[in-house]
Amino acid sequence: MQKLIFICLLLFSMVIQAQKIKEYDLYVTDTVVNYTGKTVSAIAINGMLPGPELHFTEGDTAVIRVHNMMHHETSVHWHGLLLPNEQDGVPYLTTASIKPMSVHTFKFPLKQSGTYWYHSHTMLQEQSGMYGAFIIHKKDETKMPEYTMLLSDWTDMNPHQVERMLHKENDWFSIKKGATQNYGQAIKEGKFGTKFTNEWKRMRAMDVSDVYYERFFANGKSEVQATDFKPGDKIRVRIINGSSSTYFWVNYAGGKMDVVASDGAEVVPVSVDRFIVGTSETYDVIVTIPPKGIAYELVATSEDRTGHTSLWLGNGIKQLANPLQRLNYFEGMQMMNDMMTVGGNMKDMGMNMSLQQMDMNAVMYPEISGMQMTGMQGPDATNANGMENMKEHDHHAMEENKDIVTLNYNMLKSPVKTILSDRPYRTLHFTLTGNMNRYVWTVDNKTISETDKILIKAGENIRIIITNNSMMRHPMHLHGHFFRVVNQYGEYSPLKSVLDIMPMETDTIEFNASEKYGDWFFHCHILYHMMSGMGRIFTYEDSPPNPQLPDAEASLKKVYADDKRYYFSADIGLESNGSDGELRLENTRNFIDAEWRVGYNSESGYETEAHIGRFLDNKQFFAVYTGWDFRYHNEMDKQRNLFGQRSTQAKRAVACLGIIYVLPWFVETDLRVDHKGNVRLQFTRQDIPVTSRLRLWGSWNTDFEYSVGSRYILTRYWSLSAHYDSDMGMGGGIAFTY
Amino acid sequence: MNLFYKIAIPVFMLVSSYANAQLKNTQTEIVTVYGSCDMCKKTIEKAATEKKISEAVWDKDSQKLTLTYDTTKTTADALLKKVAYAGYDNEKYLAPSEAYNKLPGCCKYERPAETTANKDNHEGHETLAAENSGQSNTILKDVYRSYFTLKDALVKSDGSAAAKAASELEKTLKAVPMDKMQHAAHMVWMKSLPVLREDAEHIAETNDIKHQRDHFVTLSDALYNVAKAFTTGETIYYQHCPMYNNGKGANWLSLGKEIKNPYYGNKMLSCGNTVETLK
Repeated sequence: MQKLIFICLLLFSMVIQAQKIKEYDLYVTDTVVNYTGKTVSAIAINGMLPGPELHFTEGDTAVIRVHNMMHHETSVHWHGLLLPNEQDGVPYLTTASIKPMSVHTFKFPLKQSGTYWYHSHTMLQEQSGMYGAFIIHKKDETKMPEYTMLLSDWTDMNPHQVERMLHKENDWFSIKKGATQNYGQAIKEGKFGTKFTNEWKRMRAMDVSDVYYERFFANGKSEVQATDFKPGDKIRVRIINGSSSTYFWVNYAGGKMDVVASDGAEVVPVSVDRFIVGTSETYDVIVTIPPKGIAYELVATSEDRTGHTSLWLGNGIKQLANPLQRLNYFEGMQMMNDMMTVGGNMKDMGMNMSLQQMDMNAVMYPEISGMQMTGMQGPDATNANGMENMKEHDHHAMEENKDIVTLNYNMLKSPVKTILSDRPYRTLHFTLTGNMNRYVWTVDNKTISETDKILIKAGENIRIIITNNSMMRHPMHLHGHFFRVVNQYGEYSPLKSVLDIMPMETDTIEFNASEKYGDWFFHCHILYHMMSGMGRIFTYEDSPPNPQLPDAEASLKKVYADDKRYYFSADIGLESNGSDGELRLENTRNFIDAEWRVGYNSESGYETEAHIGRFLDNKQFFAVYTGWDFRYHNEMDKQRNLFGQRSTQAKRAVACLGIIYVLPWFVETDLRVDHKGNVRLQFTRQDIPVTSRLRLWGSWNTDFEYSVGSRYILTRYWSLSAHYDSDMGMGGGIAFTY
Repeated sequence: MNLFYKIAIPVFMLVSSYANAQLKNTQTEIVTVYGSCDMCKKTIEKAATEKKISEAVWDKDSQKLTLTYDTTKTTADALLKKVAYAGYDNEKYLAPSEAYNKLPGCCKYERPAETTANKDNHEGHETLAAENSGQSNTILKDVYRSYFTLKDALVKSDGSAAAKAASELEKTLKAVPMDKMQHAAHMVWMKSLPVLREDAEHIAETNDIKHQRDHFVTLSDALYNVAKAFTTGETIYYQHCPMYNNGKGANWLSLGKEIKNPYYGNKMLSCGNTVETLK
């Protein structure tokens, strides 16, 4: 037996000898960077951020040694490549995690050509800069000058803090972006009704992306210039979106761009004015270098339009591209109101949206809607309602849009037939679901860890019908396979490995289970969505044990642990009349919290409560909890509550059971009964955004306790606060928010 | 009260001295920025000025912007980019086509570089000029002459001179030898003649410059149609002021390329741009 293996290996290695082996060494190190005047930690590959551009030729065998020089684990995933499962680079799922101070060798033949990239698949390392371009040239490529533009987003904040803040529903990022969409601004723009309806339907300030980024980069810089090209030349720009959670609009000052490939797969050239590159997508475009003495701007603007990064093509005076103006958020909010039921589901109103053809966000684009952001009021949208209004918006957007050609998936055509071999299809239906308030992102309301792997048979055809019922767009990425995005071109539908799907769209993708074995990840490529559990694992039936993962069960647990993590948060107030605060630990479904109110003297007494609870419904408006409540008031007499029961305010130590339900307009209703039979119903509304930084809140319960307060947000952690409490009276001070 | 002043005055002085503080770490550079009028000057200077960071003065004649800025806070490059976003080409950046197009008519300076990115703005005008293949003779010479006299009177805001020129125009209109016109050109003439007559008559009747200018709008449009059909052998510029009549705009014909606005006189003498050149 061993002899046989030996001979096989020998034969195999001889075959490899016949091919060209291209080797790279990647040294991964912790590093510090300073982009904004602040020195923060990052991850570099070969001392660079992003990592080096790797170039191969189709048919080569890639041998890549990853040297982990850091004190924590890492991994490298080869995005978009067709390769043996154990080379895919998802730690604990397909490939051994690369331990600190160790080397891992990847070796795989390259069966394709095009623009791809690589990145860490370990926790949030991608956000720290661990990514690079992976270019595979055709064997007999007609020589055309080319340039690789790797886009990324950068935050000075520790990515784990970013993630924690998203889960805490902290709106610091909106403040930084100027996108809190507060009531003050709504009144100024005549959109109070829109804002109120939006909150009535329990939607927080809407935005097209969640994280505030200090910088957007092309090849690690805010601006890059490529001066080597000859004036008038046509060149290929390989655009890779290596960001963690940013979509980019791409425009060229030199006019139209010819899109010739997407996600590495060629498409019949299509000429467009602009296109959006979803997170992790790649597009190849052909553009013309300007005449001598001029440089044209190829600009990538973040979808939320808070920033951009530019590639200057040519040498000389710089021709700027038309900038994209800030979004008209209230228009988008109005649209969301029309599309969202009070129950929190999206309805497409029978419009059968698909393939990015109807960009609902277009109502927010000033260059299309023709409306200015500030002060000016567009066509009055607040009075009309429902479908009528929607149509109008739409019509308007479409009409104005005529002269700007925007790429969508229905315009992509494969140059070769992509129809799958005549085998039976298995159809799967996925609904993308999410809960912005608690930042829980799921497929069919279940996280990765809450579902079993999906079994597929080698050779069978899989058809996935995906509907996006969430409020955000998602770039869904399938590992190790191309899928066809079924569109108007039928047999010539384009091949892709990432599908951007907008809210309310339904798209069909098809692929042949062309691998032999292994587990293949299918997930949203917005890093923070993936980490919260938005994905599924396809597994080939009868896969052999993976030698890289000796303890399969323990490995899978590690994979599942990612979306089960608990996030800590705290609100601590120090005011003149006492201190109150809350500590919280919560994950996808569960929460544990402790609250207190303490006066500075013995008269004002103290109260503490602690709960452990669980959210029960898909939208997470409904939760049950159990806990205890302990309070002491020196002076307080026994009082009757609304239900005529005697509440023992003076000294109370009770265990309680309760339910929480979030009513429209985010009024949190908390109904509880303690072990002595006392019932309390409490209504609370937190964080009413009055201006960008001013928040109001109020609370009342059936023990006739009430409080109202306000908070002015100074920094990420600190606020000024003042409130009136029926027990403790008026107070003012500072509040710490973590 | 006393206490208030004791605190308030130093605080106020502190604040005001802070606000008036000179720029620090300054460097001054003189750079080329293209523009055409006083309105441009305002926009350019505003775009390049940042409180406590930079100051800018633009000179129309030399087309030079004097930039003074705090080198620790910004660069000339960054400021010039802002100027370009405001619509003004300069030595480092060319304005985006949309920003240029949005400039008011009087600010539409001649762009230094004709790139494919901004070329499309002019396409329409060039084709119009190319179509101008009308009758070439001198039968309308006198009509044009009296029109330009009228225009010059309006530029000077001289009502009585305008009235005089208009009555002269009335006479020349009557004297046009229509029998010498070719058919197509004659048709254009017949369509325009009633308008020309009526407007000339109205302008001749009054010394009220506002009333005269209102009629000059339709008179000019009618004569423009004529000018396209009858060339004079001279170059005539068809010019446009976007501001007249509450932003509805108005046009006129001129023998000189330089803008001399007949609708505002001295108030906005250089407001406008040439939209078409007739030869």
